[in-house]
Amino acid sequence: MEATLEQHLDDTMKNPAIVGVLCTDAQGHNLGCRGSLSDEHGGVVSVLAKQAASLTKDPTDTPTVCLESDSGNVLVRTHGTITVAVHKIVT
Amino acid sequence: MGCCYSSESETTEQERDERKPLIPHPNPDSKPPNGTERNPANISSTRTDEQALLSIINKTAQNIIDVSAADSQGMEQHEYMDKARQYSTKLAVLSGTLSQKKPPPLPSLTSQPHQVLASELVPYSDIQQVCKVAAYAYSAISQIKVDAKEELVVQFAIP
Repeated sequence: MEATLEQHLDDTMKNPAIVGVLCTDAQGHNLGCRGSLSDEHGGVVSVLAKQAASLTKDPTDTPTVCLESDSGNVLVRTHGTITVAVHKIVT
Repeated sequence: MGCCYSSESETTEQERDERKPLIPHPNPDSKPPNGTERNPANISSTRTDEQALLSIINKTAQNIIDVSAADSQGMEQHEYMDKARQYSTKLAVLSGTLSQKKPPPLPSLTSQPHQVLASELVPYSDIQQVCKVAAYAYSAISQIKVDAKEELVVQFAIP
């Protein structure tokens, strides 16, 4: 059923720079996660994407949220009904 | 009482009106009741008057909230202090558990923001990468469908 998504998350984690990935729906329900991002981050990730989207005037424009830190970046991106967060360390 | 432009004479007349009993005495010349000197008619009239008075008293009593009585039914000082202490300890316990339910922070917050701000911009390839990951994940989720291996609705044999 969700094997394709699980496979996709595993494939994403094969990138050595990526240490965590999370997929959530608009309500913050976790659809799948790997590494440093766990299911308890689902709510924060979905809300961050929603708040960022509310800043843009163009409803068709979807922003990418990037949380920068010295040990890596967390990039949050919404596509359709889902939001994906990728935790990438600085190489 | 609520009367504008009232003159002196009117006031005195009003006062008389105010002091006038609402229910005139049925028999002003009658002596205090002792049962022997009364005829049955007098007794019945006195009873109706008493009933009228009682009904007025009852009506008034229904409209009165006796604050002093409520106070006397309240708690003692030490009982009040005990309750206050009990509630404050319960609140302290609850606030302890509530503070534990804070949303977990996202991983890796920086202690040196100037370094982060001075660093290079996020590579566009990273943004493209996350866009791609999101698009793939969306297509993977849209492929999810219920794979029913057996009948979801089963009809029970009703004899």
